Amino acid sequence: MIAILPFALRLACWLLLAPLLPGIINRVKAWVAGRRGPPVLQLYYDLARLWQKSVVLSVLASPAFVAGPAVAWVALVAAAMLVPLGPAAGFPSFQGDVLLLVYLLALARFCIAWAALETGSAFEGMGAAREVSYAVLTEAALMTAILSLSVQTGSVTLNTMLAHSSGPGALLLAAGLFSVLLAENCRVPFDDPNTHLELTMIHEAMVLDHSGPPLAVVLHGAALKLLLFAVLLSEAVLPMGRLAPLAATAVLAAAVALVTVGVGLVESLLARFAFRRVPLLLTTAFLFCLFALLLAWKGGAP
Amino acid sequence: MSVAPLLLLGLLALGAATGLGPRLPRVWLALTVAGTAALLAAAVVVLAGGADWEWRSGFAVGGEALHLRLDGISALFLGLLGTVGGLGAIYAREYWSDEQQPDSAPRGRRWWGSIILSMGFVLLSSNGLHFLIAWELFAVSSFFLITLERERREVRAAGWLYLAASHAGTLCLFAFFAALAARTGSWDLGPLRDRPDLAPLFWLAFAGFAVKAGLFPVHIWLPSAHANAPSHVSALLSGVTLKMGLYGLIRFGGWLPVPAAAGWIVMAVGAVSAVFGIAFALAQNDLKRLLAYCSVENVGIITVGIGGAMLGAAHGAAPWGRLLLAGALLHILNHGLFKSLLFFGAGSVLHATGTRELSRLGGLWRSMPWTAGLFAVGAAAICGLPPLNGFVSEWLIYLGLFGPAMSHHPAAWVAMPAALLLATAGALALATFLKAGAVVFLGAPRTQTAERAHESGLRMRAPMLALAAVCLAIGLAPSWLWPALARAVGTWNPAWVAGAPPPLLTLSLAQVGLAALFVAAGAILWRRARATGMRRALTWDCGYSRPTARMQYTGGSFAAIAAGWFSWLLQPARAQRRPHGPFPEGASRIERVPETVLERLVEPAAGGARRLARAARRLQHGRLQFYLLYLAAGLTALAILGLVEAMR
Repeated sequence: MIAILPFALRLACWLLLAPLLPGIINRVKAWVAGRRGPPVLQLYYDLARLWQKSVVLSVLASPAFVAGPAVAWVALVAAAMLVPLGPAAGFPSFQGDVLLLVYLLALARFCIAWAALETGSAFEGMGAAREVSYAVLTEAALMTAILSLSVQTGSVTLNTMLAHSSGPGALLLAAGLFSVLLAENCRVPFDDPNTHLELTMIHEAMVLDHSGPPLAVVLHGAALKLLLFAVLLSEAVLPMGRLAPLAATAVLAAAVALVTVGVGLVESLLARFAFRRVPLLLTTAFLFCLFALLLAWKGGAP
Repeated sequence: MSVAPLLLLGLLALGAATGLGPRLPRVWLALTVAGTAALLAAAVVVLAGGADWEWRSGFAVGGEALHLRLDGISALFLGLLGTVGGLGAIYAREYWSDEQQPDSAPRGRRWWGSIILSMGFVLLSSNGLHFLIAWELFAVSSFFLITLERERREVRAAGWLYLAASHAGTLCLFAFFAALAARTGSWDLGPLRDRPDLAPLFWLAFAGFAVKAGLFPVHIWLPSAHANAPSHVSALLSGVTLKMGLYGLIRFGGWLPVPAAAGWIVMAVGAVSAVFGIAFALAQNDLKRLLAYCSVENVGIITVGIGGAMLGAAHGAAPWGRLLLAGALLHILNHGLFKSLLFFGAGSVLHATGTRELSRLGGLWRSMPWTAGLFAVGAAAICGLPPLNGFVSEWLIYLGLFGPAMSHHPAAWVAMPAALLLATAGALALATFLKAGAVVFLGAPRTQTAERAHESGLRMRAPMLALAAVCLAIGLAPSWLWPALARAVGTWNPAWVAGAPPPLLTLSLAQVGLAALFVAAGAILWRRARATGMRRALTWDCGYSRPTARMQYTGGSFAAIAAGWFSWLLQPARAQRRPHGPFPEGASRIERVPETVLERLVEPAAGGARRLARAARRLQHGRLQFYLLYLAAGLTALAILGLVEAMR
């Protein structure tokens, strides 16, 4: 019972807070543009509405079209549960759980892309192709970041890796991980979540044919992934382990809010890049992480 | 039951199957299944904690007494051989039946028995001479299996290429075993770790076994052989025979001392092989060729583990060395299982539609739901996605690669780049298998043949189902396999027998939980979607109401972005006709990825050798007086040589 309560609390935190982030981003964008913007809780309303709506299925789609988003959502929730949330340690936690995290993200990507390709639409094909291709570079960058944390802390367990600050390379790592966050969550300058032109989208193009509850699951999963990366970024850079529980919670909340506002500002101030420039930007993110790794290596044994 | 009777049973059953196979298909199937089951049982007996089995004959074969040995390492491979050999036989009865292939099916049965027997002997034999004999028999058997459909020109070409490449490798092995026998004074094989003078021989073994394993860049024979062989043969080739090369590498990397540079180079070759192999796979438009190139990637992943184990052994770093070796061994097993599953799936598609061209397939899930589902399981497993078995072995290998990084060990200078390359290869593999699965099974059928496809029968589905079940079982309960792996690791390096196991139990609990949640979430969402009133409509195509199958994204377009990054390596050949005029017609664009290493590197080099040979042939012209002159010149030269020697 005692073990279940923190687990349930953490789960509730992840599930309930995730849809807040896109709302904040939209609020920031509206503020910069001088508009009033949608309510912060807009995504919650959308999710509730979509859950009630009926489903239109493509004539070509198999049951995996619906199962894909469900599996992807579970994978993302499971990935989030591995990550410590401020003072609350991640559970289950074991040596090498960080690799499970990486592969769960890959599984989510596989399922969403598979569901997208079920429809046989060229737009969804395009979106899926872009998603999995750019993921090659983001995964390399993410793995480099993980290596640098692992060199820094001498551990491959998320709870330990994220408890310490990432040392001399913290700034580089933050820059690299922030780019990874933008790319993995399909934000500007990699992708534009607001465009209405299917040709230029990645994530939105993949879910064009989803509707009703499956679309709600996809949207909630995307919000969860954004929160997951924001938490990862904050905890990788900040020395969470040294803070008192209450302070850690406050610092984490502030950091995540900062990252979210940062995403919103980037989105307001930058235009989406041409697709052929995306690999260049991702390579830069990889190099940031690589230099963080080299700095961690030079830093000597933990 | 003890090992010897089981092995004898396997030998007798498979021998009888080889003899009777051509005429009695049913008896052949029963005997093959019984024989391979006996091999599997023998392997399980040893792996489940039985003692190593060793036997020396009183009689001599080819001048040497037979020396057979079944230990932790060979048992692992023997188990894989038994599994894929038996399931492939069941599959072949329907896939390559006498009704459809009256000419080649009987031959196929004979060589199937023969290849399993000879591979079994390779695994058991502890005598250099017999190892070579069995190795050669196994190479020849695979040649005949690859060329079952010998009336097709590309099949014959693939067979010859295989034979030539295989013998180039065997040549190195001849040199290796001969030099080993000359230095130790006996053909007998066994642990010789205290003879540092034998270390340089490792390079010969590495070259020889790398050809058989299909490591980049000596993989040149692999894609065409695997693509053109019948699919049950492709499954055996990819699932088991490639592993014979890895078996040799592991066996002799453990028995003999290795040079100091070995671990570094083996790991680097493996990492490069992984990335380049999967880059080629991504760009393929032939389903079986794609799977074949993906084997190059997986062999690379395994080789990274083997190289890491050598590094660990050289530096006395047990904690990560044993993880890498265990990961490599488990990945050998896993790849044998899911690659066979995928080749069986590809075979079913080929059987149903008659084509391997991705651009002619599509939408097959409707007519072949079983094949589609099982292929998807194989695809997820090979991408290393939880909760399947591929994840467990890749997890072990990554964990081992992180070891030197965490402990600031100098080996990290190769382990960290290898980890990054494996991550890149993993993400590329995901793209590759999404492409393969989606273009073949999802969307709308691109041609009429794809539309008229039919599901394959029980004999083809049952082996796939069994393989998928084993993939899932290993994924969910890897901790059960750990003792067997630990035992093989202990056989490889006795210093690594004891040691804390990795947290496989926690992992397997997590995997079981995940699997249950996946099923539950899928079911809940499906029910919810049904409850809201689900209806079917056309795919959204920007408001266009008459989409056709040709408007779907193709495999080539899907791979274009990532394959473009590797165009320096792939060197694709393009032929395009641009549209002209106000009413354009007949525009086309054809892109083909050549066998770059073969066509751009090996064939020009072979051309040089051919020119040399042609020049030497001028000596042979049929004029007797010149031959007499050669004779006289030769004798004179010998006489002078003799005189010089005598004067000294």
